[in-house]
Amino acid sequence: MPTKDLTIAMVGSGGDGVVTMGDLIAQVAAREGLHAIKTEAYGPQIRGGEASCTVRVAATEIFAQGDEVDVLVVFRWADFARFRGEISVARDVVILVEAEDATPPEDIDLGIEGRGLSIPVPFTALAREAAGTTASKNVVALGVLSGLFGLPEDGLRRAVAHRFGRKKESVREANTKAFEAGVALAKSLPQDLAVRRLEYVPAEPLLLMSGNEACAVGALHAGCRFFAGYPITPSSEVLHFLSEWMPRAGGSVIQTEDELSAIGAVIGASFAGVKSMTATSGPGLSLMTEMLGLSSMAEVPTVIVDVQRGGPSTGNPTKGEQSDLFQCLYGTHGDAPRVVLACSDVEECFHATVDAFNIAEEFQLPVLVLSDQSVGQRKQTLSASKLEHIVRDRAKPTEAELAGYERYRDTPSGVSPMSVPGTKNGMYQTNGLEHDEFGSPNSLYLTHEKMNAKRYRKLWPIRDRYHGFSHYGPESADVGIVCWGSSGGAVREAVAAANARGEKVSAFVPHVIYPFPKRDFELFLAGVRELLVIELSYTAQFYKYLRTFLTLPEGRTNVFKRSGGKDLTATEVTREVRRVRSIASSNEMEVMV
Amino acid sequence: MSTLAELPTFQASDYKSDLKPVWCAGCGDFGALAALHRAMAKLQLEPWNTVVLSGIGCSSRLPGYVETFGFNGVHGRALTLAMGVKASRPGLNVIAVGGDGDGIAIGGNHFLHAARRNLDIAYFLMDNEIYGLTKGQAAPTTPAGDKTKSTFWGNPEPSVDPCELAISFGATWVGRGFSGDPKTLTELMTQAMEHRGFAFLNVMSPCVTWRGDDQFKILKAKLKFLPPDHDRKSRAAALAYTRETDLLTTGVLYEVREPTLVERIEEVRAKGMKAGPVTSTADVLRAFAPAF
Repeated sequence: MPTKDLTIAMVGSGGDGVVTMGDLIAQVAAREGLHAIKTEAYGPQIRGGEASCTVRVAATEIFAQGDEVDVLVVFRWADFARFRGEISVARDVVILVEAEDATPPEDIDLGIEGRGLSIPVPFTALAREAAGTTASKNVVALGVLSGLFGLPEDGLRRAVAHRFGRKKESVREANTKAFEAGVALAKSLPQDLAVRRLEYVPAEPLLLMSGNEACAVGALHAGCRFFAGYPITPSSEVLHFLSEWMPRAGGSVIQTEDELSAIGAVIGASFAGVKSMTATSGPGLSLMTEMLGLSSMAEVPTVIVDVQRGGPSTGNPTKGEQSDLFQCLYGTHGDAPRVVLACSDVEECFHATVDAFNIAEEFQLPVLVLSDQSVGQRKQTLSASKLEHIVRDRAKPTEAELAGYERYRDTPSGVSPMSVPGTKNGMYQTNGLEHDEFGSPNSLYLTHEKMNAKRYRKLWPIRDRYHGFSHYGPESADVGIVCWGSSGGAVREAVAAANARGEKVSAFVPHVIYPFPKRDFELFLAGVRELLVIELSYTAQFYKYLRTFLTLPEGRTNVFKRSGGKDLTATEVTREVRRVRSIASSNEMEVMV
Repeated sequence: MSTLAELPTFQASDYKSDLKPVWCAGCGDFGALAALHRAMAKLQLEPWNTVVLSGIGCSSRLPGYVETFGFNGVHGRALTLAMGVKASRPGLNVIAVGGDGDGIAIGGNHFLHAARRNLDIAYFLMDNEIYGLTKGQAAPTTPAGDKTKSTFWGNPEPSVDPCELAISFGATWVGRGFSGDPKTLTELMTQAMEHRGFAFLNVMSPCVTWRGDDQFKILKAKLKFLPPDHDRKSRAAALAYTRETDLLTTGVLYEVREPTLVERIEEVRAKGMKAGPVTSTADVLRAFAPAF
């Protein structure tokens, strides 16, 4: 029976064009209404060096990158070797390998014990012959993939023509020939791969977007008209996208001298009444934590997107991790209220960013959107119809509020009237110093206690109104998983697969990390026999965080945590669920770290 | 800076807030504050369309003493806040104030880049050659050899002239004033606020508590005005009046007209608009639809 779900990985050197291949496959998938996720990985080189690109294409909706590769295209084994431990192949993998480098070195163990099918393909020779240049070998490979695995052939043909049509006509022609040569070769191969062909019914075209782009689009949708940022992997795409699109929406983008300046400018613009945002990654957030506190204290709406990478210090810039949680929850000195949201996939990046603006503008505090490299840099298909979200604007002070105006009036909700420059009776001085209700510096204990209470009181209505979470699987389950952020995708797929096998497994994935949807989670816990906490943080930050305000079921709480650097996979989740089901006592960790 | 040419609606006293400054008696910052009130009145700045921002330090308390919108931010970051205000609301009058520690030490990087960007604000730096609020430690402007609380055996580091930095990094208006000469200072502040582009005014503002109560006398003895034939368009001529040790030359050292940050942002926006304005999220989403 043909497949409905195909994961293809392509590995080569910088000039081999594997990323172009992945781009084109994902774009064609989107065009045909197929679902796709495309990820890339690179060596540390700025240009050139090894590159891998993985595309999963499926007839049904998908939520994570395929963790086992069904088809592997290798231009050079030496490049594959550099991704050791990061590309897992299925036991029945089909390997299309450059004929000139057909034999893998002995030290490469694919873990398939001689199974799988390796097909040497003369990519380079065919490209030279058909296109007159070896540079087209990736297009030859596209033709072969299309012919063997049923990727949309006409779509790819158009995509190749479009991609190379921007260059000289001769380049377009050469690549078209390379593509046809690949298709022809696939037809001539003796191997019968009919069972591996992708079967699908074309549907309405989908959009293809990265998580970082979705954050940028969410910001524009929310009415953000000022962005300041400093380049940092893996978040720079937010800056890139907005540098093109923000001016078209009438806004401004400033690339600042550092992250201190970025968040300062954002706070300044927001103080001036313009919705503003910055985006960064862990090291940049470390610098920003200084003014995170200013945003809390001066009560200026501030939106910060943190696309996490491996840490500490420079860490793993191109790899994801979930270890900025504590920094987002607790970073900066003093008692500084903030809201922390998380996103599990590209679509959620959009919604979390819009929510971040809605919350920041209404409650006048910093809101952090926690994304990570996995979600931020993957390209994923999604339907435009899902990108709708109500937008709330900052309330203007009423005439009554402007009479004897108190910027920081101690109201029952904690939210005080905020005027913007230009408001005749609304002048005030804001302050990083503790201040009275007018904003004047005041260091009295009683003032500090009262204002702390006012600032924290704002969190209660936020918790009541923004307690979004996803619940997958049955209400009552043998194993209930709790995780957050990018782990959510793999967990969701593992839960669906377990449920399809008749296993009672469920998952709770909060969209709001702080203030945590505690009541919803307690209801979830009530229906769960064994709890399994899953996260990509070596010190299990999320598990520890849960324990700060919850008593987790004694003897029934299990933790699976590991470092980031490699996305969580559904296979890992399934393995952990099985382990938890099979063992008598739980493995709640000793908090050694 | 927007001005109202007709009847003076605002007196200098209208810009004075009810808060009493926390400064020591005899502090140079009183003179700077009074000059600012008068300069604002000269330009008839609408208080509600004016924002005064600062960082941390004695002089950074100033926004509280001016009846406008004010932002007393965190140490060294006044210019970053000011950039956000001006870039997002170009119609506002934006003034940043602070001390030498705030602007040249911890905020030095922002100072250089505000100058480079030609951020269209006025920046008044009250230079007392010392850290006052933290009680008397050396600043980047403290002369080498000077004994302070943090340099018991004398300051081992050379000092920097903020005017030299500003000129070198692209500020388009650079002046030096003295809080003991309020008349000239008012005039300089007025011109700085009128300038389109980054206007940097270094105000020598003595700290009588930590630099000694003879500071006014010492600086007055050094005080000199720029000669009338000074070529303020010449960078070299301006730099000749920096790093002075025996003199305190006041006046407008440098003044040129270059595109401002706001003007450049507007240029970028015009280019973007030419490619097609975005009026809805759907306009943006089209960029993500397959092109073939």
